[in-house]
Amino acid sequence: MDRNQIGKWLRSPAKMANKYSLHAVYFCTGCGIIEIPPVITARWDAERFGVLPVATPRQGNLFMITGYVSLKTLKAIIRTYEQMPDPKYTVGFGSCPVNGGMYWDSYNTIKHLDRYIPVDGWIAGCMPRPEAVFVGVTHLWTLIDKGKADGYLRYRRNYAAYRRNQEMLFGELEWPALHPCGSAAGGETQ
Amino acid sequence: MTGSLRDSLEATFRDVVVAPPGDDRLSVSAPADSIPAVLRYLREKSFDHLALISCVDWIERGRLEIVYLLACYMRNDTDYLSEQKLHVFVRTEIPREEAALHSVIGVFGNAEPYEREIHELYGVHFHGHPRLIPLFLEREYEVPPFRKDFDTRRYVEQTFGSIPPVEG
Repeated sequence: MDRNQIGKWLRSPAKMANKYSLHAVYFCTGCGIIEIPPVITARWDAERFGVLPVATPRQGNLFMITGYVSLKTLKAIIRTYEQMPDPKYTVGFGSCPVNGGMYWDSYNTIKHLDRYIPVDGWIAGCMPRPEAVFVGVTHLWTLIDKGKADGYLRYRRNYAAYRRNQEMLFGELEWPALHPCGSAAGGETQ
Repeated sequence: MTGSLRDSLEATFRDVVVAPPGDDRLSVSAPADSIPAVLRYLREKSFDHLALISCVDWIERGRLEIVYLLACYMRNDTDYLSEQKLHVFVRTEIPREEAALHSVIGVFGNAEPYEREIHELYGVHFHGHPRLIPLFLEREYEVPPFRKDFDTRRYVEQTFGSIPPVEG
């Protein structure tokens, strides 16, 4: 262990433990998932960074949205995200979740992922190299250190607004609200 | 050899037009009503593989063209007769308005997802299809999205452009 980090470990052991054990939900959307097998296997070995793929969302705390998000996938993404335990971090991977990418004009692909679930960071590129994943992960460490990777808190705080956006696309959702929606239907910062 | 299949098709079905065969393909145009019969006949002529069903929107003519692509499976390459190496395109045209057609699931079971897909993307109704529910799409579309009068840009602007950012 790095001696410089002993202070951090003593101050906030939970945060440090979270930071170095990112368990990525192995959720495949779009073409970006093709970059993930090399990332997690021997060639690039994401375990050096404490990133491991897990089978179910209930065991994971890192959610990488790898590629374009069709409406049907978005539904699965929302349900997966809501099943993950706190604290959880979302990373948009590739240019399609950022702004639609080359699917900007598509009738069945959402354009901005952060309007439906909170996103803590982005890895731009089409496709990003495995090295970019590691740069993203180390940035995420910094954000966790500074307490800025607070997507799950923002989701709770602005749940009414997120839920409203989700329902604008899908109509009535078939699962109950995760958090109380309250009366602030416009969200906090609207 | 291709001549014999062509002759037998034209002899069996009065209203079927067989185009002169190209290099390795045979184009068969048939009216919508006789499509199941034509496909069944071709299946018995050893064209037992429905590779795909596709749809073309001829908006100027106000017609939708449904294309069935058939091929022939053999265990060994040497088993093929020369005419069985053909790809057979069976085409039919239906009006764009109230587009409807008989399902061919009774002939080829794997037509089921293709017909569902054409139903949701082109708005073609298939009579006798057991579950004509959307295959990929989640939303209702006023105009089926693969028809040429579907204005994608306007739709995207209205649907996705109307969703506000949550923060910032």
